[in-house]
Amino acid sequence: MTISFILNGEDVSLNARSYERLADVLRQRFGLLGVKADCRRGVCGKCLVLLDGRLAPSCILPVFRVRGREVITIEGFAQTDEYQDIAGGFSDAHLETCGFCETGKILVTAALLERRARPAPAEILDAMASVPCRCTDPEAIIKAVQAAADRRARRLYHRAGQ
Amino acid sequence: MPGSGAHGAAIDIALTDLGFEGMVHVTTVRAPVPRGRLRSVTPPRLPAGYRLILPQDIPGRNRIVSFGTEVPILAADRVSYKGEPVALIVGPDPLVADELARTTVVDCEEEDAVLSWESFSSEQVLAKRVVVVGDPDLAFSISDRTVDGVYRSGASEHLYSEPQGSIASFDYDKLAIWCATQWPYHVRDSVALALGCKDEEVVVRPTRLGVHMDGKLWYPSLLSCHAAIAAFLVRKPARIFLTREEDFRYTPKRARSSIALRAALDNSGRLAAIDARIAVNVGAYGPLAEETLSQVCLAAAGAYACPNLRVEGYAVATNDVPMGAFGGLGATHAFFAAEATSARLAQTAGLDPMAWKSLNVLKKGSPLITGEGLKEEPPYEAIAERLAAASDFGRKYACYELVRKRRSGRADGPLRGIGFAFAYQGAGAFLAGDSPNSYTVEVSLEKDLSLVIRTSAAACRESVRSIWKRTAALLLDIPVESVTVAPPDTDKAPNSGPVTLSRGLTVVNRLVEKACEKIQKQRFREPLPLTARSIYRVPRPIKWSDGRVEGMPFDMASWGGAVVEVELDPWTLEPRPMGVWLCVDGGLIVSKDRAEAALRAGAADAMGLCLREKLDIASGQVSEDEYLSYCLLQPAQLPPIFVDLYEPDRHVKSKGIGELPFDTVPAAFLQAVAQAAGAPFFSLPVGPEELSGAGDEA
Repeated sequence: MTISFILNGEDVSLNARSYERLADVLRQRFGLLGVKADCRRGVCGKCLVLLDGRLAPSCILPVFRVRGREVITIEGFAQTDEYQDIAGGFSDAHLETCGFCETGKILVTAALLERRARPAPAEILDAMASVPCRCTDPEAIIKAVQAAADRRARRLYHRAGQ
Repeated sequence: MPGSGAHGAAIDIALTDLGFEGMVHVTTVRAPVPRGRLRSVTPPRLPAGYRLILPQDIPGRNRIVSFGTEVPILAADRVSYKGEPVALIVGPDPLVADELARTTVVDCEEEDAVLSWESFSSEQVLAKRVVVVGDPDLAFSISDRTVDGVYRSGASEHLYSEPQGSIASFDYDKLAIWCATQWPYHVRDSVALALGCKDEEVVVRPTRLGVHMDGKLWYPSLLSCHAAIAAFLVRKPARIFLTREEDFRYTPKRARSSIALRAALDNSGRLAAIDARIAVNVGAYGPLAEETLSQVCLAAAGAYACPNLRVEGYAVATNDVPMGAFGGLGATHAFFAAEATSARLAQTAGLDPMAWKSLNVLKKGSPLITGEGLKEEPPYEAIAERLAAASDFGRKYACYELVRKRRSGRADGPLRGIGFAFAYQGAGAFLAGDSPNSYTVEVSLEKDLSLVIRTSAAACRESVRSIWKRTAALLLDIPVESVTVAPPDTDKAPNSGPVTLSRGLTVVNRLVEKACEKIQKQRFREPLPLTARSIYRVPRPIKWSDGRVEGMPFDMASWGGAVVEVELDPWTLEPRPMGVWLCVDGGLIVSKDRAEAALRAGAADAMGLCLREKLDIASGQVSEDEYLSYCLLQPAQLPPIFVDLYEPDRHVKSKGIGELPFDTVPAAFLQAVAQAAGAPFFSLPVGPEELSGAGDEA
C-alpha cells in the first residue's frame, strides 16, 4: 500500500506492507537512527516520536496508521527552538544519560512543556516513567526539565516582546 | 544501509546503528531443555544464501575462557541451561533467519535438571573458600547472646541500555569486531581463540556501552565469537543482535545467594564471633564463580570488626542461566546479610542500631578477614553523625519503636520504620587470573601540546573520561580542551583491564597520572612528541589456602552509610519509602554534581531491588511472563534521595563509589521494614505478600 505523511516537515510517500512498523520504516527507509526499536512492546521509550504533536511509540505503531498525519522524530525536532531549550536545559543541569534514552527524554520533555509551561517535580517524574532507564537520577532530571522550562519561558517572553 | 562503512571511533555509536554492505544476520538456535545430551540439530530446508553453523564448523577452539572457567561457544554434546546456543543460522534477511532458527529441531535426551543450590552435591561445587580467624567455636560457646538467620538475595535483570550483540567485519587483513563491552581485550582474545588466529589479527572497536551493571564483562565475547565465526565462514560481515526478549531470558543474571549467618555478642555487647555459610548460585558454567565467591566471602563480616570468624563459601553450579555480577561482583550480597544481622545484634544488646554499629564498626587497626589490621581510619563515626543529623535517625528510631509498641490497630495510621547501614567499597582489588601487566595506559604529548590518552577502558562514562582529562591537564599545565581520549580500539589502545569496580577512577586515573608525571619529567629535556606508558602492578594478590586468606582485600576503600525511612500502609501493607540519605567518603571528588547524580541513580536502582525487581527463575528458565512483567521502579515512586559527599582529606585520591548504594540501601531498607512490621525479614523485595504473614498486625 502507498502511505503518504509528513515526516519532519516534509511530505513523504512510500510503499509499505501492512505489518511494517513505523520504527523500522523510519530507520531503514529514511535512515533516522535516533529512533531505536529496542523492546518492540512500546514500553522502553527509545522509539518515541511526536505524532501530530503527541508522543507515540513507533515500535508498535503500524506504518499505515500515520497516513495523512505528521511525524516528528528527534532529527526533525532537533531543528526547532524547543529542542534548543531542552538540550540547553539538560546541559545547564549537567544531566548525564546513558546516551540511549536521551531521545525519549527530550521528546517527553517537549510534550510535557507543551502541556505545562512550569511542570511540578511530580509531573516531571510521572512523565519520565515512559522512558524507564537505570541511568536516571530523579533529581537531575527534575532540574534538567525545570532548566529547559526556564529557557523556553525566556525565549517565549523575548519573542512576545519583539 | 545506514552507517555503512563506518570506520574508526565507534565509542559514541550504538551497535544497533552500525551496518555494512552485504552484511548477513546471525540467529541463535537454542537448547530446548535445561539439561541433556544433544542428539541432533535439524534445520528446515535452507533457502539459498542461508547456512547452519554447528560446533564442528568452528575453525578454532569451541570455548571461551572467562576468569579461569570455560564456556562453550556452541554446546556440542551436552546442554547445560535452557536457551544455551547450540547452532547458528546465518543469512541475509533477519526475519527469515529468525524463522529458520525457530523451526530448527533440536533433539535432546532430557535429563533431570540440577536446580537445587542451597543444598548441593560436591559435583556442583565450582569454587570453595574457607577462612577461619581466631577461635569462633570458643567465642560461641562462652556467649549467651547469639542471633542467626538465612539471608537470601535473588536474581535480577540488568536491563541494559541496549540488548547485547556484535558485528564482525573485514578490515583489510584483520577481522574487526564491533560490540558494547566492558572488556575489549577479552573479546579480542576469545575471538582469536575461536578462529584459531593470532590475537593481532582481530581488532575490537567498542561501541557505546550505556548502562551495563557489570553484565557486559564476558558475554559480549561469546556473541562476538558467534559473529566472527559466521563472518569467517560466509566471508561477509556478520551481525548478531539479540532481541530484548532473548537478552532478558537467556543472558547472565545477578547471582543468587544464600548466607546463613550466626553471630555472637560478648558481655560488653561487642561483636564476638561470626559463622557464615555462603552458597552462591552461579548457574551453568559459572564464568564469574571464583571472583563472585571471593568478593562475598571477603565482605562476610560487613563493615564490622570481628575477632573470631569462620567463613565457608561455595559457588554452586546449576542448570539455571549463567549468573554473576550485578552492580559489583558480589560484595552486595555479604553486606546485605551482615547489616541485617547487625541490626538484630543491636536489638539483642539493647542498643540503638546506630550506637551499636558505631561501637563495632571497623577502625584503624581492626583485624580484616586476612588477619591484617586496617591501615587507615575509616570515617564511619563522622558518616554516622552526618547521617543521624540529616535524617534525624535517633529521634525517629526511638519514636517509631514507642509508637509501634503502643499501637492499638489500623486506625492508628501507618506504621513507620527507619534503618541504617554501613559499607565500604574496596578498590584496586584484582580479578582471578589477572596478569601483572593487564593494566596499562599510554599518554602522548604532541608537538602542538595536545595530549592523547590511550586506554582500552575508555568505553566508560563520559564523567570518568572527563576526570582523566582534568587530571592530565592539571599535571601538565595544559588546557583541558587540548586533552583527548583515543578510541579504545585494541589496535590503538593498550589493555587497561575490564571496566568494572570503579577502576576507571581507582586504577586508570592513577595510571594517567603516572604517565603524565613521566612526560612532565622528560618534557623540557627531550623534543616533542613524547609518549609514556604506565603499568599498574598488582600490590598483593589475594591467595586462599588451608583455611586462610592472605594479601590485601583492597588497595584502598571508599566508605559509606545509608539511612532509609519507610511507611507501611495499614490496610494494604504496601511499603512506601519516605526518604533515603546517603553519606559517602569517596576521596577526592572531582565533579560534585556528577558524583551526587551517580549516587542518586544508584540509590534509585537499589530501591528498585527493595520494592519491585524480582526475577523468578523457575525450572531452570526465565519465563516469558517474567519478561513481560519485569519492570523498573517508576521515578515517581522514588522517595527523596539526599546525598552527602564527605571529604575529610582533599589530598587523597579519587576512589570508586558506584557500588556503595547497592551495598547500603537494601540493607537499610530491610531494617526499616523490620522495625515498622516488628519482625525480622531475610530477603528482598519485601511487599505486602511477605509482610502479611509477619510481625504485628497493622
